[in-house]
Amino acid sequence: MSASAPALARQPRRTVGLRLRDPAVALTFLSLIFALLLALFPTSFPRFVVEAWQNGRAIPVMILFTVAVNLGIYIRVAQRRSARPGMLAPALLGAVPAFVVAGLKFWLQAAIAHTLSGDVPNVLARVNEEILTQLYFAFIGAVFVPFVLIIFAQQFRDRHS
Amino acid sequence: MLPLHSYAANWTAVKWLLWIGLYLILGFLAPWLMTRAWAHHHRSDLRPGFRQLFQNGELGLIGLILAISVIWDLQRSQYTPFTVALGSVFLTVTAIMAGQIWIESYCRRSTNSDFQPERGWRDSRTMLLLVASQALVIEMLLDRFAKVTAQ
Repeated sequence: MSASAPALARQPRRTVGLRLRDPAVALTFLSLIFALLLALFPTSFPRFVVEAWQNGRAIPVMILFTVAVNLGIYIRVAQRRSARPGMLAPALLGAVPAFVVAGLKFWLQAAIAHTLSGDVPNVLARVNEEILTQLYFAFIGAVFVPFVLIIFAQQFRDRHS
Repeated sequence: MLPLHSYAANWTAVKWLLWIGLYLILGFLAPWLMTRAWAHHHRSDLRPGFRQLFQNGELGLIGLILAISVIWDLQRSQYTPFTVALGSVFLTVTAIMAGQIWIESYCRRSTNSDFQPERGWRDSRTMLLLVASQALVIEMLLDRFAKVTAQ
């Protein structure tokens, strides 16, 4: 083997390093689409979301959608930075949204129970608005929280390696 | 001719757009115009673009301030404490992340440790857009909820 062979040997690719701006761009677009749907279809879009929640379809669809969005962002970042996808990050991106959305489901049920127990006018419309708002927050959290956790884990790893 | 209450309803529907426009004009456009005015007054050749003016991640600070006002609006709303808490926590996390861009740029610049103006501008702009889009949706939802509670 010649002396230059080690230099020519293929360097192992580093794993993907995520930054906050990676999910931020996708989340901005998704929020703007949500705002646009709310502005263009002020009655039918909220009714569609509330009916999906009442039929029990909202939670599984939201989990599948957010996992797909998270993994899509991750793969795109890996391709753009020519980095090797790791094992832990995709696992977190797949698992954390399920926990976040499932946890927030109980939070929303508590909010609905709180509204129904109060002596307030127009209670059903209030419940519908609570559902719409909390599902939006759950959606944001399911995309953003896993990335925040991974970025903190990366900083922790870098400090201790 | 439309009756007066119809104009009032239309005004209510777009007020969140004007509200966010105010933040962008006062936080983004006004500082840029002020540098132009300063240069004109002092007969200077200084002509910074948005990129140069906000290269230290100052847009992250604008995002933080924008988020504070939305959190305040959420706290004053008649949503249940569960919804108010959830929205406030998510907005706070996003706002801290936006502010962190500004802080990181400041620390890197002060310690001469790999400070990249281009990165400060790009990251803070992205985080400001994220905060602004979330603020827009939350203000629209608050507007809807206020109409429901007023009925």
